[in-house]
Amino acid sequence: MSEMPWYNKGLFSSLNLRQKTLLTIALTALLLLVIFISGTLINANLPTDFSIKMQGPSFEHIFGTDWMGRDMFIRTLKGLSLSIMIGLGASILSSIIATLLAFLASVNKYTDTLVSWLIDLFASIPHILLIMMISLGLGKGAFGVTMAVAFSHWVNLTRVLRAEVLQIKTSEFVQLSSKFGRSKLWIAKEHILPLILSQIFVGTLLVFPHAIMHESSVTFLGFGLSPHEPAIGIILSESMSYLAMGAWWLAFFPGVALLIVVLLFDIIGDNLKRLFDPSEANN
Amino acid sequence: METKYIIAAVVAVVAIIGIGAFALGGGHTEHAENELVACVAAHGEEPEFGFDPMHGWGYHDSGTEPLIQSTILKRDKDNNFVNDLATDYSISDDFTEYTVTIRDDVKFTDGSKLTANDVAFSYNKAKELGEGADLSSLKEAKADGNKVVFTLNKSDSTFINKLTDVGIVPEAGYNEDSYGQNPIGSGPYKLAQWDKGQQFILEKNPDYYGPEPYFEKITNLFLDPDAAFAAVKNGDVDIAEVQVAYANEKVDGYHMEYFDSIDVRGISLPTQMDEGKLSEDNLTIGNNVTGDPAIREALNIGIDREALLEGALNGYGNVSYNGVADQLAWSFDSTFEDGQVDQAKEVLKAAGWEDTNGDGIVEKDGKPAAFDVYYNAQASERQAIAVAVAEQAKEIGIEITPVGGSWDDIGPNIYSQGVVWGFGSADPMEIEHQYDSRVANVGYDNAEGLIDPTVDSLIDSAKSQELESSYATWSQAAQQATSQYPYLWIGTMDYTYFVSDSLDISNSTHLIYPHGGDIWGNIYDWKRVNTTDS
Repeated sequence: MSEMPWYNKGLFSSLNLRQKTLLTIALTALLLLVIFISGTLINANLPTDFSIKMQGPSFEHIFGTDWMGRDMFIRTLKGLSLSIMIGLGASILSSIIATLLAFLASVNKYTDTLVSWLIDLFASIPHILLIMMISLGLGKGAFGVTMAVAFSHWVNLTRVLRAEVLQIKTSEFVQLSSKFGRSKLWIAKEHILPLILSQIFVGTLLVFPHAIMHESSVTFLGFGLSPHEPAIGIILSESMSYLAMGAWWLAFFPGVALLIVVLLFDIIGDNLKRLFDPSEANN
Repeated sequence: METKYIIAAVVAVVAIIGIGAFALGGGHTEHAENELVACVAAHGEEPEFGFDPMHGWGYHDSGTEPLIQSTILKRDKDNNFVNDLATDYSISDDFTEYTVTIRDDVKFTDGSKLTANDVAFSYNKAKELGEGADLSSLKEAKADGNKVVFTLNKSDSTFINKLTDVGIVPEAGYNEDSYGQNPIGSGPYKLAQWDKGQQFILEKNPDYYGPEPYFEKITNLFLDPDAAFAAVKNGDVDIAEVQVAYANEKVDGYHMEYFDSIDVRGISLPTQMDEGKLSEDNLTIGNNVTGDPAIREALNIGIDREALLEGALNGYGNVSYNGVADQLAWSFDSTFEDGQVDQAKEVLKAAGWEDTNGDGIVEKDGKPAAFDVYYNAQASERQAIAVAVAEQAKEIGIEITPVGGSWDDIGPNIYSQGVVWGFGSADPMEIEHQYDSRVANVGYDNAEGLIDPTVDSLIDSAKSQELESSYATWSQAAQQATSQYPYLWIGTMDYTYFVSDSLDISNSTHLIYPHGGDIWGNIYDWKRVNTTDS
């Protein structure tokens, strides 16, 4: 399909493809884990020090400091881990929703119509709008944002899983099993679920970057967390007020960091897909 | 995959160009010498109901210059009352009847004559709507020839303050829904245009009876703080009110002017224990941590206000230990010093608060000394105060969690948690709103739920004394109330403006700045100066 990406070339060419893919996954996962764990170890109420406010990047504060003298590197790290946490919760939840709906669709043709209708309905509303409404409805905060992202990101995965389930359902071994008197639930659990598990797994990981991006945008727009909480969206929206004063580092570093994290998740997702999906095994 | 990155790159480039274009700005707009372009507004906000004094235009904690309308009295720079529409006034001995003589040479901008009837109508209407000045003690305003008689339902020597609070509208044709868009008044200016969400334009009222202002035309823009600062950098405005965060910036062609205000910031500390009591609107009253006087005292003496102001307000403010600004006649000296961390710990220890589990936070009966402080997320100085106080409080063993939100989010918690408030009125009635037990937990009044009969009786006695001599009694009432530390008062904040070097805003004649005050009070003295001279 596509060309081999840059991160699979060069340096580790002595490894075979599978090893390289695994190495890529392991390294990126490690990096994300480090960001996440170090972030969770930081107290959310970062120390302020007004004597060093609005300082540009230096060796002491490599991302600079903000208007309350908080170190932007620590704040960004904390924000990223918060984003990862919300993204994790949201993507797991949305995968569960997607799996349930995919099975529901396979029950009979009425439930299938219902699920297709739900997919069309949610796909037709702009994500951001939906997220804002749900977040507001659930009282904002981390809980509201997680729920909002979860309830708006199940659509694509549901669509894939529904097709997959329908296809497996028509295969001979399932038909046979059903003829032998196995219940629908048993078939779903023992025959279908194991086959779509890899899809669910990859799907969850690929929702992740979207979840993080949308979490940041919704907090950026002020529909998420309190302004003193170090979420990336809040950091970015706050930096808008100080750009006119020339404090570029308030927006630049957190923005780049967010981009990097999102890309890392994308890389893991793509590589996992390569590992799991037989149709891409030759790439 | 590839296309995704291309799209991302394009978006990034567009964003950078966009921001760049915004920061560098478009063309510099030229305007005539006697036209003024400003970006200042009471509370930085557009009036929701337009320029209608009945809906609160020209009032915020105490009267501000409504520009379009006249008031009965005005304040001068020393906070004395001077006549505007009034030529004379008299007050009955028991302070229940105020009689004002209205000058008879005043015309509204529609050509009709301003009469005592219009004045009485405006006060009755403002009381009916109840959105601006506190006219709760007014029973009725009645016109009698060229006089207006205000009858009160109880003695209230502070009522003279209210004569500065309400802009006068014409009774004929007044409509509370549409007046704000097409205001007819008798002030120095008339409204020429209001582009909602963008700006309003005022033109000089040729029939104005008072001193003639220099500027023919005033355009006031409604801009967000960062856009206001960008407008200054572009040279688009003559004067812009900015947040203190910008106050240390330097911009060519502009200088920074800042004025002390009586606009004080403080955190309310619920004085009652949470015993399941509910307010009229079903909100929980009281907090089991701040309900202990020791906690409130420890915070008041343990916090370093000087450091807070230096940080949160960039140093543009003055500390306040008791919420009454020094400029006010009823101000008093603090009974305590602050920044005493050790002594604060002693106070806590004596009251049984001790750190038994070693987490740095004191406990009593297994309950940690922890509570929330809510702040309006729109106001960065309130956020900074909440966060910085939380940090300092940790040193004395009290855990404060700052929570930001809109006033809708804060509303349900105002009687049970700490809230960062802004107060500041030139009218001592504010003491009643803050501490009187008869208004405890009603709206934003006495949100800390202070119940003290001594305070109540001092307030009553102050209201039935001559205004000048009542200040001492008001002061006593405030001292009695603050001795129980119902608030953690922090300080007053300066009002900061970038002013074009070509503009003289007459620094010596500024009026007192109340909470939500604006700079228009001495517009009559503003003029353009030749920049080459300075």
